[in-house]
Amino acid sequence: MDAFSGLMSGFQVAFSLEGLLFVFIGVFVGTFIGMMPGLGPISAIAIMIPITYSMDPSIALVMMAGVYYGAIFGGSSSSILLNAPGVAGTVATAFDGYPMAKQGKAGKALAIAAIASFTGGTVSVVLLMLFTPLLSAVAISFGPAEYFALMFLGLTAIASLADGSAIKAFISATLGFMVVTIGIDAQTGTSRFTFGNPNLLEGIDFLVVALGLFALAEVCTLVLNRNEKDDGQSKNIGSLRLSKQDIKEMSGPVSRQSFLGFIIGVLPGAGATIASFIAYITEKKIAKNPEEFGKGSIKGLAAPETANNAATSGAFVPLLSLGIPGSGTTAVLLGAFLVLGVQPGPLLVQDRPEIFWGIIASMYVGNIILLVLNLPLIPYISKILKIPRPLLISLVIIFSLIGVYAISFNTFDLYLLLAFGVIGFFMRMFSFPAAPFILAFILGGMMEQSLRQTLTISNGSFGIFLDKPIALSLIAVGLLTILFPLLKGRRKYKVS
Amino acid sequence: MLAKTNQKAALVVAVIAIVYLLLSFNLPGYTNALIDADVIPKGLGFLLLFFALLLYLDKKNETEADKEKRKISKQHVINLLVVAGMILIYIFLLEMIGFVVMTTVFIFVCSLYLDYKHHVTNVITSVVFSLAIYGLFNYLLKINLPAGILPF
Repeated sequence: MDAFSGLMSGFQVAFSLEGLLFVFIGVFVGTFIGMMPGLGPISAIAIMIPITYSMDPSIALVMMAGVYYGAIFGGSSSSILLNAPGVAGTVATAFDGYPMAKQGKAGKALAIAAIASFTGGTVSVVLLMLFTPLLSAVAISFGPAEYFALMFLGLTAIASLADGSAIKAFISATLGFMVVTIGIDAQTGTSRFTFGNPNLLEGIDFLVVALGLFALAEVCTLVLNRNEKDDGQSKNIGSLRLSKQDIKEMSGPVSRQSFLGFIIGVLPGAGATIASFIAYITEKKIAKNPEEFGKGSIKGLAAPETANNAATSGAFVPLLSLGIPGSGTTAVLLGAFLVLGVQPGPLLVQDRPEIFWGIIASMYVGNIILLVLNLPLIPYISKILKIPRPLLISLVIIFSLIGVYAISFNTFDLYLLLAFGVIGFFMRMFSFPAAPFILAFILGGMMEQSLRQTLTISNGSFGIFLDKPIALSLIAVGLLTILFPLLKGRRKYKVS
Repeated sequence: MLAKTNQKAALVVAVIAIVYLLLSFNLPGYTNALIDADVIPKGLGFLLLFFALLLYLDKKNETEADKEKRKISKQHVINLLVVAGMILIYIFLLEMIGFVVMTTVFIFVCSLYLDYKHHVTNVITSVVFSLAIYGLFNYLLKINLPAGILPF
């Protein structure tokens, strides 16, 4: 079956009455689950797996694509409205989305997010279809040295992300990396920093750190500011309508980041999170007015939203062509595939073309339904902002606690969550940015593993990086991003 | 005074780095590993110590906004501690008493404490919310939240 007729048969599945109905259900449930702080695409897909047991595989996968896109959009909504990103991929969305919502432009922010997600998603599905063989060939040639270099670059890039002190940003990142070393070392089995506590052996879950540092720390701020009179500004979402100027402003980042995000998404390990951070940084660097970033910039919101969606489609390339998930979300999706008796890999296109093309087609349809469903729903979604502050505080606390409890069924993790909330609050008080902490926490484990693999290959010599041009140049760029803000800070100080 | 805040923070960071380093040096060795489990932690410890030193030497003044962030009245500190205390009690009793009862009580009491005056709305929200979430998770999503003293 050639690509065109394959795609057409895929559309037949996705556009059938049953197909459309289940995409719709998927998108709706996904958006709902994704909006709850702490529950992201991973939980949404995992939760929906049992429901698909008795379904026809092609319809089930069409629904899953809907859940996936819906959850990502839902996560962006809670980032924008509550500054409580449910998943790491939408952390960067909150940087400019939340300030916009605070300025009374939540409706506009959500509309920008929906359109940017739609464009990023659609462009990258086209790319996924066209470049799957080519791009997977590039990614296969990457060894641990290149992976390490790539993640190193992702991490050092946060230096320019931090407003205020770059040194504090690096301290945050180092602390985040330290927290991820807690638990059993995967390579030697040594238990590190567990103090004999069995609950720490498997390490600390991402949700505990994310919900603590972001949602609970936000609760503290809400408690302090709860009596501030709202002049209705932040409660009114404002118009959804975008002006021509707005569209013009977002067109640059959206078109650039659709491609960049896709490419980053293809690389295993470097998924939506790195793509969104890199998108934010590059747009900030090339913007004419970078000082607007972090204060409600349209570009700063459109860039990560486009990139995280483009990257999530990009992450399908290694999953579909090699059968290797490149991210946590695609790992759970792989689980969903296997439950339905579908084995992704090089043979999928040949053996089960109706599944392969059904997935591609459902990604197109999922994107469209998302836009059609969510744009009209935005005024209702943003009702969250009308909840009185004291109730909102109680509800966010409960959501955070449930989010953690539902993955671990363990009250120890809840105490840890509270501890990270306290840490997050103090970090805010003393102007240590939380984003580098969480990014280092997510990347730390993979970075350690790839660095140790690299050094094991080279018998412990760092010289191996000199023989790997791609890795070497990535690290060089990374080092420059560290040195640049430090030197810049110094020069400014001398002048003043 | 301004520069001192950074330096105090730097000292705290340095203490964390030193404790972490001490723990790293006490990690058990594994003879067959070329790159053992303690390599990365030691590197991180020294890196953090280095950054702490940079922060100590950083003479950059704090902005007014940074100072403003740290001004918290005594009343607010008490508020935060009480809420934290309520969360601790919630966690401690969650598996014993059960999700529905604890969540209802938590939402009502916490909102009440934070000056929410609409008692009827408060009661309705807390009851409906806990029951809805419990139903959603236990029956629709099959994720069992603790039932506790309630029979369902």
